[in-house]
Amino acid sequence: MNPTMLSITIALLFGIGTFMILRRDMIKVAIGITVLSHATHMLIVTSGAFLGGKVPIITSDHESGSGIIFMDDIAAGVFAPIVPEGTEMIYSDPLVQALTLTAIVISLATTAVLLILAYRVYQEHGTTDLNEIRRLKG
Amino acid sequence: MILSMQHVPVILIALPIIFGSLTILFRSKSTLQKTLNIAVFSFLLALSIALLLHVWYNGILVYEVGEWGKYGILLVADLLGAGMVVLSSLISLMAMIYATDYMDRKALDSTFFPLFNLMVAGLNGIFLTGDIFNLFVFFEVLVLSSCGLIVLTGRGDHTKMADKLEAIFKYLVLNMVSIILMLVSIASLYATVGTLNMADIAVKVGYLADAGELPWHIHVIAMTFIVVFGYKAAMFPLHFWLADVHPSAPAPIHAMLSGMVIKVGIYGILRVHYLIFSESMFMLQPILIILSLVTIAVGATSAIGQYDLKRLLAYSSVSQIGYVLLGVGMGTAYALTAAIVYLVNHAIAKSMLFLTTGETLYHAGTKDMRKMGGYAGSAPFLCIIFLIGSMSIAGLPPAGGFFAKLLIFDAGLSAQFYIPIAIALIFAIFTLFYLFRTWLTIFWGEVKYCDPTEACNIRNPTTSIKVALSLLAGVVIFIGVYPEPLIALSSVIAGQLLDPQPYITAVLERSVR
Repeated sequence: MNPTMLSITIALLFGIGTFMILRRDMIKVAIGITVLSHATHMLIVTSGAFLGGKVPIITSDHESGSGIIFMDDIAAGVFAPIVPEGTEMIYSDPLVQALTLTAIVISLATTAVLLILAYRVYQEHGTTDLNEIRRLKG
Repeated sequence: MILSMQHVPVILIALPIIFGSLTILFRSKSTLQKTLNIAVFSFLLALSIALLLHVWYNGILVYEVGEWGKYGILLVADLLGAGMVVLSSLISLMAMIYATDYMDRKALDSTFFPLFNLMVAGLNGIFLTGDIFNLFVFFEVLVLSSCGLIVLTGRGDHTKMADKLEAIFKYLVLNMVSIILMLVSIASLYATVGTLNMADIAVKVGYLADAGELPWHIHVIAMTFIVVFGYKAAMFPLHFWLADVHPSAPAPIHAMLSGMVIKVGIYGILRVHYLIFSESMFMLQPILIILSLVTIAVGATSAIGQYDLKRLLAYSSVSQIGYVLLGVGMGTAYALTAAIVYLVNHAIAKSMLFLTTGETLYHAGTKDMRKMGGYAGSAPFLCIIFLIGSMSIAGLPPAGGFFAKLLIFDAGLSAQFYIPIAIALIFAIFTLFYLFRTWLTIFWGEVKYCDPTEACNIRNPTTSIKVALSLLAGVVIFIGVYPEPLIALSSVIAGQLLDPQPYITAVLERSVR
């Protein structure tokens, strides 16, 4: 995985999502929210992916000292998942993938609610143009 | 007893979630469902008070979900968290008792009880969790359940369905944007320090700061968290949604939203910023003070021009949350004490005022203040309760708001913030003006009957509504006459916020299995 390309992709997705939620159409706003959420999910995954990182499964032939997964040693100034200089990093961080799964499930639920809501607003107001749906004032 | 107290934090979250799904089964038995829900919420209130007493006498209680030490999800009940849980349990019990008579039969039988239970679970989870990603998850639970609750209708609710849906669409989209921002901040924080446990993050950020290697983007993350929590708390540039969303909700939900849900933002700033980002506070405190003053000014001036009663009180909430933020921004131990006292007072008095408002609107049959008048004769009970609420919000003795305002101004003067206190004092007079003008317009003057076919005075509060309102009024007066326990509790909380070492020790001493 090329980190530069990944960063550019995430940045582009954030840009597209922000552009979409500023549109006037309700469905485009919903799509924008979805794109933004997925950009965020990619960002979370990227924060735990390292160049050449392997699947974080420790097998029985794992030699201690050859591949540091996490070192959590404050006294030495080492925070997981940041590894000290010169240490070979062979496993990617598994926690971010669990976080991303949680975030994806939550974004699924909110997207579903958002789409149902957009449909109900369309039924009540007869339009999906957000500039015309502005009755609350004062 | 000690053994069982350990499990209380998780029961406070799990019980509403489990009961919320169970209550769907009883949806055809209306009376049974009401009784069961009130019983469960009373039990939650009793549990939360027991938890607060336990934390007060025995120190911070840490519950490990999964026994993974600081690497797993921890529930931490310190005095701030347990105190907020007591507050939210009290208000949700009162809103629940009120709602059993207020909400439409259709709403009560279908979605009200499950979603209300989920909302309470979300609130308790936010106040008790010790994990910053878990905080995000409970934020989402809270947002989605409150979206479903705003759409329900009650008997004094004159908002059209189209307006409610528009309000929810705004609420959901803007909340999603703020939640995405929160997720980005959490990811950046995780990539910097490699942990999600708030106490552990605090230790590592503190280590970096001591070594003089604090990366500059920690300050940026602190600012994005201010945006996220400021959005929740309706801080000035992010306050615009509140006046549209909160008045669209039925009265019990309005009371929960304005009473507890916007306090979540204040809680977030108190917890996350004073624990993790104490290195950035030198930069954030002036920003918070300026924004809180603008919030006070904008809320108070917008409230003066309103004729819609619910909208007026919603703007009043914006203004009052500014006072809490002012205390949080000043950041001395005394100011934090004052902010917490103010938060508690505003939560109880404002939710009482909103519950009264729902019943007043039902009595009047309209939400336009110009069409109301002279209800002191036909609804003396509502008149007295509304007066107590207004006195507490405006800061008159013997209601609880007097001590809250007094402490805020005294704390500001002793910390030599003369100009901010002067501005806050001017807008406190505005508050007095618009609340008492409202009270006079509605309850005194010429008697106006809104509906010619139906006299207003047959629409009077039922017993359970009277019970809920009287209990809340009793609490407001009690805090006003005997504020010492609350002030003592708040000053201990403020001390713990400024010196979070006991919290960190209690969390990190857990052994990893």
